[in-house]
Amino acid sequence: MSAAFQPYRRARDFGTPKRESQRQVTLTIDSVTVTVPEGTTVLRAAAEAGINIPKLCATDSLEPFGSCRLCLVEIQGAKGLPASCTTEVREGMVVTTQSKRLADVRRNVMELYISDHPLDCLTCPTNGDCELQDMAGAVGLREVRYGYDGANHFGAKKDESNPYFTFDPTKCIVCSRCVRACEEIQGTFALTIDGRGFASKVAASQNQPFLDSECVSCGACVQACPTATLTEKSLIELGQPEHYVVTTCAYCGVGCSFRAEMKGEQVVKMVPNKDGHANHGHSCVKGRFAFGYATHKDRITKPMIRNSIHEPWKEVSWEEAISFTAKKFKEIQAKYGRHAIGGITSSRCTNEETYLVQKLVRAAFGNNNVDTCARVCHSPTGYGLKTTLGESAGTQAFDSVMKADVIMVIGANPPDAHPVFASQLKRRVRQGAKLIVVDPRATDLVRSPHIEADYHLALRPGTNVAVLNAMAHVIISEGLEDKEFIAARCERDAYEDWRAFILEERNSPEAVEKESGVPAETIRGAARLYASAPNAAIYYGLGVSEHSQGSTAVMAIANLAMCTGNLGREGVGVNPLRGQNNVQGSCDMGSFPHELPGYRHVSDPNVRKLFEQDWNVTIDPEPGLRIPNMFDAAIAGTFKGLYVQGEDVAQSDPDLNHVAKALSSLECMVVQDLFLNETAKFAHVFLPGSSFLEKNGTFTNAERRISRVRKVMKPLAGYEDWEVTQLLANAMGYPMSYSHPREIMEEIARLTPTFAGVSYEKLDELGSIQWPCNEKAPQGTPTMHVEEFVRGKGLFRVTPYVPTDERTNSKYPLLLTTGRILSQYNVGAQTRRTANVAWHSEDVLEIHPHDAEQRGIQTGDWVGLKSRAGETVLRALVTERVMPGVVYTTFHHPESGANVVTTDNSDWATNCPEYKVTAVQAYKVEKLSDWQQRFQSFTEQQLEFLRKARAGSEEAVG
Amino acid sequence: MDVNKLVRMANQIAANLDDGKNPQRAIDGTVDHLKRFWTPAMRRQIVEHYRQGSNGEEVIELSFIAAQAVARLAEEQQQATA
Repeated sequence: MSAAFQPYRRARDFGTPKRESQRQVTLTIDSVTVTVPEGTTVLRAAAEAGINIPKLCATDSLEPFGSCRLCLVEIQGAKGLPASCTTEVREGMVVTTQSKRLADVRRNVMELYISDHPLDCLTCPTNGDCELQDMAGAVGLREVRYGYDGANHFGAKKDESNPYFTFDPTKCIVCSRCVRACEEIQGTFALTIDGRGFASKVAASQNQPFLDSECVSCGACVQACPTATLTEKSLIELGQPEHYVVTTCAYCGVGCSFRAEMKGEQVVKMVPNKDGHANHGHSCVKGRFAFGYATHKDRITKPMIRNSIHEPWKEVSWEEAISFTAKKFKEIQAKYGRHAIGGITSSRCTNEETYLVQKLVRAAFGNNNVDTCARVCHSPTGYGLKTTLGESAGTQAFDSVMKADVIMVIGANPPDAHPVFASQLKRRVRQGAKLIVVDPRATDLVRSPHIEADYHLALRPGTNVAVLNAMAHVIISEGLEDKEFIAARCERDAYEDWRAFILEERNSPEAVEKESGVPAETIRGAARLYASAPNAAIYYGLGVSEHSQGSTAVMAIANLAMCTGNLGREGVGVNPLRGQNNVQGSCDMGSFPHELPGYRHVSDPNVRKLFEQDWNVTIDPEPGLRIPNMFDAAIAGTFKGLYVQGEDVAQSDPDLNHVAKALSSLECMVVQDLFLNETAKFAHVFLPGSSFLEKNGTFTNAERRISRVRKVMKPLAGYEDWEVTQLLANAMGYPMSYSHPREIMEEIARLTPTFAGVSYEKLDELGSIQWPCNEKAPQGTPTMHVEEFVRGKGLFRVTPYVPTDERTNSKYPLLLTTGRILSQYNVGAQTRRTANVAWHSEDVLEIHPHDAEQRGIQTGDWVGLKSRAGETVLRALVTERVMPGVVYTTFHHPESGANVVTTDNSDWATNCPEYKVTAVQAYKVEKLSDWQQRFQSFTEQQLEFLRKARAGSEEAVG
Repeated sequence: MDVNKLVRMANQIAANLDDGKNPQRAIDGTVDHLKRFWTPAMRRQIVEHYRQGSNGEEVIELSFIAAQAVARLAEEQQQATA
């Protein structure tokens, strides 16, 4: 652990961004010969040679600006003193960075800055880590001849509205780094310089408090600020960190690399890692600031047991909790059979932990009843991409988007759900890439500052396959396909079948228009744009997978990419945006009931043999229960015991009345989690979990990138999650004796060909690795399917549009679709326990003004939402973001009950629930629904059971 | 498990694997899918349902393709036990 600890220092700043060029330029800086790529600035060339030219407005995450006049240099033959940040290197250039003349100018510049800057360095929060302070030292500032009595900004008021950082304009030097960071890095354009000359000041939106402005609190401005103007509140409270550890964010599937900047075992701040391969120094409000949940008072740190969910909890030792669980599970198996128990792995846990849970189920439980929450999000991606391309994963690295000419985003809302990737995507759009958005809602990618989609296919929920087929129809019927690619790379017979199918009239844009609501001409235009681009890339999300035809839509996407030759190089591809941090990893690790690690079917005797020999057990050759099947089997009385690690099925899964009935039918439910989540309220055993800050392991992000998670503090409850699984395996009679997750990764590498070359040593060395990593690709694989598809030839699959059974009628005339919001994460267990609630304190129902008016609904009204499955009540938000006939909500707060309303309809191939289409009625109400009232009393009772356990423990101690 | 749900799932699988031109391929695909993704207990239950009919309860009908696929499973199960 200690090797990962680095003494605190500010990350190296080269002043201006790195440039790439085939041509190298050689120059002399202070008698040192320097060779850099053409286009590099003098400031950066000097920094790369170890020569630090003073600077304030320049930083290597932003384009040169040239305002502070500190980085002036002398260049032989050039007039005056050019700014080194805006001057590009030239062959043979001779640069001097230090001279009497330069020193005088720089000192004068600093003198002016400091004449309007409070001299409270010793009590300033950035004392010891302030670029202005450093520059005053560097230029040898000794006096301010102007005094401090002139016009100044000392009386400007602090803005403390943002829960995570303060804006203190008295310390601002108007270098514009924050404004530029908001534009160039984040792409939100929330900040500006208001006024002119001496009156210039940084303003959020229309001179609003930060919290009320368009600011999305990504932290880029705070990171860019060279003074204490924009400062983390945690830093103000705790002071400077003393060491840092590089680790990986535990929020979305972007998998940003962070420096956990620490004081002992306390996190002072999480700072995006400039060397992070997925995020390149950028972050969002969740990863950057919302880490307080890890030490929240709601954390449960003692194991608890009870015989019935109608009894209070009893705090017990780890030994007692584990032996209680093992005894119950064994009794259930003895009474109901080997298949009566199972487990659910978590996309929020590490690869090593999910691997161990599936091993526990297959080896110690002796069945394949293991599934993961990817069942309810991206299981269709696994099925669809494996079928067509041969591998259940996205094809590109995130950086690939910077080479795309056309970007098509389908059923995904990256600015909210994958914000750091969204910033990169928007940067590419600002550079000129065209954008197609396929979404029922007008998301921020359809229109926001400096972003406007070229085509918005605002389709009716449930018609993805029809629209994708229509696009392919246009491409084939107009001869826009890539014949050469198809002939060389794809199975011929399958292509011919598909071609005949796709040319059928039922797939024409005109035929699809009525069903989808998308004008035929819009479909034609989008298809032509996609097919004619040199590089066209598809990014998709749960708006594709969470449908009754989720798997079909994924295959239709693969068909589109194959028929236009948009696979196998940078700038193209098929890219699923994974919801949670380790969705990709949990799937890779064999969490599905039909697949062993590496997506290999359990019916394959050779694969089973490999694992059987290594694990010393016999593996069941038949697939086990998927999560929805587990619930059905529980209600039917054949499934009685469940081990859930880090998932909250009682909030996240659809048709919650059904889920509650299933969970109540279990004889032994074991929940391992940070908090007493909704699922834990149905549990008999609670095993305290460990946060990502408390353990070692790896996460794999949406681009197949494996990154280290490093322990920065000891687990609050004593064990890392993998250790708890190991204790349970041993108690069940299956021996496990790992001493560190490194050993688990060694086993994964030994048994999984795509991970063969992965090790902790290599991860330390390379920073991150994109699988496959093996003998053929020892450094990993940023782009897949380059020479050939993983399955050999690409397989076109016929994708008939089969309308969902979930149809609107006079009783349920609206379609509900659900999604996520930037500040909250999944079930909200983490983010609801942070100040992120300032942005989203409750789930609301978005409804179009037309539908709202018909029902007499206004923003803020209580609205009843009823489907065939259930009924709940939410507050209304009347907005044109949704089209008439469609309503939308999020599922971040359990009491809003979004999933009481969603149905048990699911994807035909994988049983992934159809969250995105539910026929509903909405109407004005005065009080909460019956379900919500029952929920409140059940929750109150369960919290009372928890309070009793804690009180009992205090009495025992007392 | 609720047999109606199993029937609905089988019908969905059949409908999505049917291109309307090659029913045999759709039936083969459905059989393969049921074997690769359903537990033996789920397969046994739908076969049982196929053999015995509704027993007077209100049930959803198996589609033609789905019924043919389940018939194949029934045959295979019989052969295995014979």
